[in-house]
Parts: sequence; structure tokens; C-alpha cells
Amino acid sequence: MLPVIDAANLSLDRRQAVGIVGESGSGKTMLCRALIGTLPRHGAGIVSGTVQFDGQELAGAPERVWRGIRGREIGYIPQSSLAGLNPVLTVETQLVESITAVGSLSRQQARQEAVALLEKVRIPRAQQVLKARSHQLSGGMRQRVMIAAAIAQGPKLLIADEPTTALDVTIQREILSLITQLRQELNMALILVSHDLAVIEEVCDDVMVMYAGASVEAGPVAALSKAPRHPYTRALRVSRVDRAVPGQDLEAIPGDAASVGSWPAGCRFWPRCALADEACRRDSQPALMPIAQQLSACIHAERMAELEQ
Amino acid sequence: MAALTSEAEEKLQHDAITDPLLEGRDISVTFGRGAEALDAVRAANVAVDGGEAVGIVGESGSGKTTLARVLVGLQRPSAGEVRLEGQPIFSAGTEQRMPRSERWKTQMIFQDPYSSLNPRMRVWQAVAEAVQVWKSLPGAEARAQALQLLNAMGISDDQARQFPKSLSGGQRQRVSVARALAPDPKVLIADEPTSSIDQSAQAQLLNLLRRLQSERELAIIFISHDLGLVRYLTTRVYVMQKGDIVEAGKTEDVLERPQHAYTRLLIDSIPGR
Repeated sequence: MLPVIDAANLSLDRRQAVGIVGESGSGKTMLCRALIGTLPRHGAGIVSGTVQFDGQELAGAPERVWRGIRGREIGYIPQSSLAGLNPVLTVETQLVESITAVGSLSRQQARQEAVALLEKVRIPRAQQVLKARSHQLSGGMRQRVMIAAAIAQGPKLLIADEPTTALDVTIQREILSLITQLRQELNMALILVSHDLAVIEEVCDDVMVMYAGASVEAGPVAALSKAPRHPYTRALRVSRVDRAVPGQDLEAIPGDAASVGSWPAGCRFWPRCALADEACRRDSQPALMPIAQQLSACIHAERMAELEQ
Repeated sequence: MAALTSEAEEKLQHDAITDPLLEGRDISVTFGRGAEALDAVRAANVAVDGGEAVGIVGESGSGKTTLARVLVGLQRPSAGEVRLEGQPIFSAGTEQRMPRSERWKTQMIFQDPYSSLNPRMRVWQAVAEAVQVWKSLPGAEARAQALQLLNAMGISDDQARQFPKSLSGGQRQRVSVARALAPDPKVLIADEPTSSIDQSAQAQLLNLLRRLQSERELAIIFISHDLGLVRYLTTRVYVMQKGDIVEAGKTEDVLERPQHAYTRLLIDSIPGR
């Protein structure tokens, strides 16, 4: 048994938008799968901890229970969903599938519903797009169709895993504003996963930072951006090119991210951390503790100023 | 038609370099023929000076990768020619490949470090192979040079003995750079080199590219859809849209006073703005 997430914490209120940021292998996608009950399909499971949705405990719930939640209560846009449409089926067939998975609509009603959904995600000429297959659509259009399928049953929560990663910047901008508009129109909460802190800062109220399977910092976007309280969050910010001065080196995090199966003992970030000392190497991965307006898993959270010179 | 405004054209003239190291003159690339024909690149003029870093920005389908492939000799232009140190080395209308004596001078690294390395070769072998091809050295020496190159890119001897699959995306991309540097080229074309690696690895790679540019006087053509990266790394930039270069000039000028609507759209789309 190989731990891929250990010590991840995330909570959000109704209608709130929370971002999860972290690098590949940090456990972002696994956490999403835990939240929609699909870990078993990927040969994984929840060993400890709880998943509560609307007051209901879902960790270890049978598939029968999850079927009533997934799609209906929690919409999900999987990572690389650009490849998520079946190439041989029309958009209509696939959209109608996600609508009638629960309902008992006639074919005619379902089609009307599908058109309405496509219009909801601002797809022009919805009738024509219904007849199209995925290769006839641009990346941005395909992502809109995936969003339409995810919101088909009016979920209370939408989980979007890297929804704009493979898209051009101009299309990314369109998709992000679409997601924001839909959230308001449908009163949805949102969990947005991204490796790009700038994307999350644009769309979310709160953010949770993951490193090597653990939550290392969480709190309001503004607080983490102004005064990060974990060295890793700070590093993610200062290594960004949009803040860099041309001609000067970027402040890169030394070394490589700890990969699954070879997490260091102690705090998992210590080999790359300038604040690390004996305690960081010796003790286990610290839990999130409140500091300022946020939560931090760094035992030296109050010494962050030392990193700025 | 290249949609340059007169002001942008003036600026292009003004900023053009007189004696470029590598130059693409009136490059057009058309795929297919007749009604199916697609102009991937239309009459593009690009140039890079020795030790200079220039950017080519645009979205998918803008023609930036096709243009880069012409410059390294992987794609024959339908019209125009590539010049290196003032000499035409690759042009439309002939069957000749870019001559081997010139090919080593321009090397390229690709977007996807997962598919650009042979999974069955150990990391050092992938680099030693390039050293052998370009420098015709005996095996032991090629291996020594490969390890030296890899070390300079921050890849340890231990990592060099691994297969690419056990390296992270950032490490693999640094291996690609080592491989590209094997012939000691004069120009490195980097096609979206950071788009599939993590942010902390991105900063390491960018620092590395900057160091190579200053220490080896390596010219760099940096292809990206990310204007933030281009702003940080380059001093001149070409903006491409649907096969045309729509704006060109000093990076600072183009980003601060964009003349073309498309450039403005790209700038406004940067997350966090």
C-alpha cells in the first residue's frame, strides 16, 4: 500500500469557491477523486479521514449512495477532459446521457434540455453543435460541452480539475469567466484545481496549497497572496515570471518535488526549505495550525520574514 | 496578408538587425493544395542576432511551431529561404536538405519532454548519442562529454544512469537541453519548453536558459503563448496570428504599447491582470 495523500484538509461553504494548487504528484487529482467517490476505480481508497457533503458522511459509502451524489449533487470536470468526449458519439447523445441518467425525460424533452444547456454555457448555434462530434469542435468548445454535462443536473458543487490547462490564454480567460458566471447563476460552490496560482487567485475566494500529499497552507486568497505563511506557498509566488525583473534570475525552489513513494521523513518540504532545522527533519508532517488569517503547516510560520532579503 | 500597421512596420524596420545570425526571409508554408490548402505561415520575416533572445508568441494554430521547424530544417518552406551567417542554407523549390555542415548550428527543444526522449535509452545514452552524431567521438569520450553536459544542466551522474521515466518533467526538459547543446550550437529554439512542467521546475529551466544565453552567447528563439514568459526572457518579440506576423518589435515596447488588437487581447488574457 502506497500513500498518495496523507493529511489533506479542505472545506467549503455553500456557494464558496476554493482553489487547490500544487504541482504534479502532489495529490490534487486524487483528492478530487476522493470527493466524488471514484478512488476505487483507480485502485485506491480512503484509509482514514472523512468526506462530508451537506452533512452526510460519504467516506467509504457504497457505490449506490455515490450514484445519487455524483453528477446530481456534485458535478465534475475531469482533468484532460478535452479528450473526455467520446469521438464516435454526437454531442447530443452524450449530453442527453448526462441529463437522463436520473430523470425520466422523453427524447424530445431531453433534446430541448440539451439545447438549453449548451446555451447556458454560451455556445452559439446550439442546434448545430448538438449534431457535431468532438473532432469538429475547438478545444474551447469541447470544454464548454464538458461543463454543460457537469452542470446538467444542477449540482450544488462543481469540481473542475485543471479545466484550462491545455487551452490557449485567450480561451482560458473565456472559460474562467464562464465558470464564474455559472457559479453565480446556479448558486454553485466550486473547487478549482490548478497548478497555476494566478488562475486560482482570479476565480476563487479561498485557496488550499498541497505539497507531497499534504495540505500545507489554506486560507483567503488575498491573505496567502499578501503574506504567505508557508515557505512553499511563498516559493510558488516568487518563482513566477510575471513578477520577475527581466535580466535577473528567478528565485527558483531548489531540487525537485518529493514524488509519491519517496516522501522524506519529517516535514515533506524540508529538503527544499531555507528555514528547515533539526525539528523539521525529526518530527512528522506538521498539521495545519491557525496563524494570522490562514492555516499553515509550517512550524516556523512566524519566521517567514527571514526568507525576504 | 500580413496585417502590419504602418507604425508597427516602421518599428520593425527600426529594430531590425542588419547582420543577423539566423534569418528566415519571406517564409511561407502551405499544407495541402487547391481548395484544401492551408497557409500555416505567410511571408514571415524573422531574424535573431548572435547571443540574442527573441520570442515568437501566438496561440495554437498561429504557425509559430511551423516557422520554428523551418528555421531548424525540419520543414521545407513553400516559399522563402533560411539564411545562417548570411548564407542561404535551406530554401523553397529544391530537394536539398539543410546541409549537415550547417544543421548543428541550430538546435531545438520541444514542448513535451515525455515524448521527446527515447524511453529505452538511459539518460546519459540519449545525450552521448547526440555527442557521437555531431562530434564523431569514440564511445568513452562521448560518455564523458555527455555526463559533463548533464552535470552542467543540474543532472547528477546518478540521475544520468536512469531511464527518462524515473525523472521529473523538469529534469527531462533539462536532459533535452543537454542533448540540444551537444554540438555546441549557436541558436537554440525552444518550443513551449515550460508548458508541461511544474512551476518550480519552470523557474529552474528559465534560469538555465538565461545562463546559457549569457555564458555561451547562445541565441535563443523562445516560442510561447505566454507573454509573461516572453517578457521575462526576450528582448525582441514577434506576434503571430493565423500564419501572419501581426506585430514585431522590442518586447518592452510591444507589451507596453501594443499596436495590434490581437496583441492587446493576448496581454489582457494573462491570468492575474
